[in-house]
Amino acid sequence: MEKDEIAITVKDLHVYYRDMNRFSLKKNGLKGKGSGKLFKAVKGVSFEVPKGQILGITGKNGSGKSTLLRAISGIFSPDKGSINLHGNSISLLSIGVGFQKRLTGYENIFLSGLLLGYSKEEIEEKLDEIIEFSELGDFIYKPVRSYSSGMHSKLAFSITAILETDIMLIDEVLSVGDVRFKQKSYNKMKELISQDDRTVVIVSHSTKTLVELCDKVIWLHEGVIRDQGDPQTIMTEYEDFMKMD
Amino acid sequence: MKRFIKDIKKYKNYIIYSTKANLKSEVIGSYLGWLWLVLEPLCFMLIYTFLAGIIFKQKVECLPVFIFIGLTLWSFFNKTVTASVRLVQTNKETVTKVYLPKYILLIVKIAENGFKMLVSFVLCAIFMIIYRVSISWTILWIVPIILTAIVFTFGVCTLMMHVGVFVEDLTNITSIVLRMMFYFTGVFYDLSAKIHNVVYRTILLELNPMANIIYNARNVLLYKSFPVGIWLFVWFTVGVLLSILGIRTIYKYENTYVKVMK
Repeated sequence: MEKDEIAITVKDLHVYYRDMNRFSLKKNGLKGKGSGKLFKAVKGVSFEVPKGQILGITGKNGSGKSTLLRAISGIFSPDKGSINLHGNSISLLSIGVGFQKRLTGYENIFLSGLLLGYSKEEIEEKLDEIIEFSELGDFIYKPVRSYSSGMHSKLAFSITAILETDIMLIDEVLSVGDVRFKQKSYNKMKELISQDDRTVVIVSHSTKTLVELCDKVIWLHEGVIRDQGDPQTIMTEYEDFMKMD
Repeated sequence: MKRFIKDIKKYKNYIIYSTKANLKSEVIGSYLGWLWLVLEPLCFMLIYTFLAGIIFKQKVECLPVFIFIGLTLWSFFNKTVTASVRLVQTNKETVTKVYLPKYILLIVKIAENGFKMLVSFVLCAIFMIIYRVSISWTILWIVPIILTAIVFTFGVCTLMMHVGVFVEDLTNITSIVLRMMFYFTGVFYDLSAKIHNVVYRTILLELNPMANIIYNARNVLLYKSFPVGIWLFVWFTVGVLLSILGIRTIYKYENTYVKVMK
């Protein structure tokens, strides 16, 4: 595995939430940035991910893991610092999956694909594979709002797994569907990950997942990196820490 | 602006597919399906024709066509503005998952409502034939007039969409302002024939963009006339300027939108 090429560079990243969500006129007037407290979710995180590496991120709830992923995927802008993807395409796979609920699964495959930057032809090519992998059968032609949560996640997983991007960000998603699908997606994940040029960032609490899949683990704590390095060592440390609390 | 053109190209397919899918999903659940696209404007036209013709005794030639023109343009504006305020919120699922320039959502909405407007104008044309409205080549002016309506709507909505993310009250304010505008816009009565005071006339007919657009649409479609005055051009320019300002604002702040939503 070549380690010299860098896929993601995160430099001194800060992401803040201003407490201005949906304020009313009464309090703030029309100015965009009202008063409001500053909540610092990520405070000065720097790391690099070489191409082909599988990076795990762990940490307790609210430690800034998901915020970090969203910032990398371009949904959030960093308040300070920078993120460089070196021109790689990227997709975020997370639990609350983003579909247009009124539309059918079939249409959503196209919409997601087009948003990820695929052409219609490319999506058509992979269409059968996605539908087959998702195990949805005829439900693919029904509106997504009629899906059970399991079906929902299965479809989301299938789309991201089969429409491959250079960098995949995975947010706690390996626990999707029933036991059988879980196993299947886990295997698919492993297969995807084993390709040398794919860079993956996984956010998870599961020691098993992280140790088995990752090359390196970063432990986030209260918005800063507490420790990083070999998955086994870090996870043991992390578990001890969590028990202590 | 370069970035805008590049992004439009990049998301062109998404816009087209999304528009089609949205239109389809809207009609697929109902029994009458696509028919609603025709029935909706038709029914509203009948209601207002009854109101204007029988209750208010409006003396306007070809009243149904007259109302149809107003209603078609007004619904387009009304629907799009109303939707734009909550647009980011309604598309939460997409927006929190993947980056896209947020005005793309607006373009999809405009394309959707624009298609409905088109259907409505086709109906309007049918009524014009039924009522034997005589036309001249000035009818071609309807194209720049519709264009003005679209550009102006886009400009207004980019800003509404932006502020709507942060200010919840905007939904309430918009619904009141829109209702007020509706009555002052002369959708179902002839503003130009009713008001003769010069000051009021200027305010209502020229400084109110939708009234001016509708007034001129009627001029070219019904009265074989050219658009009157320079105001149409003024509103087109204002629309372009608002759009540029709106797009800039969205580019600058769009990545904070997701942080605000819960």
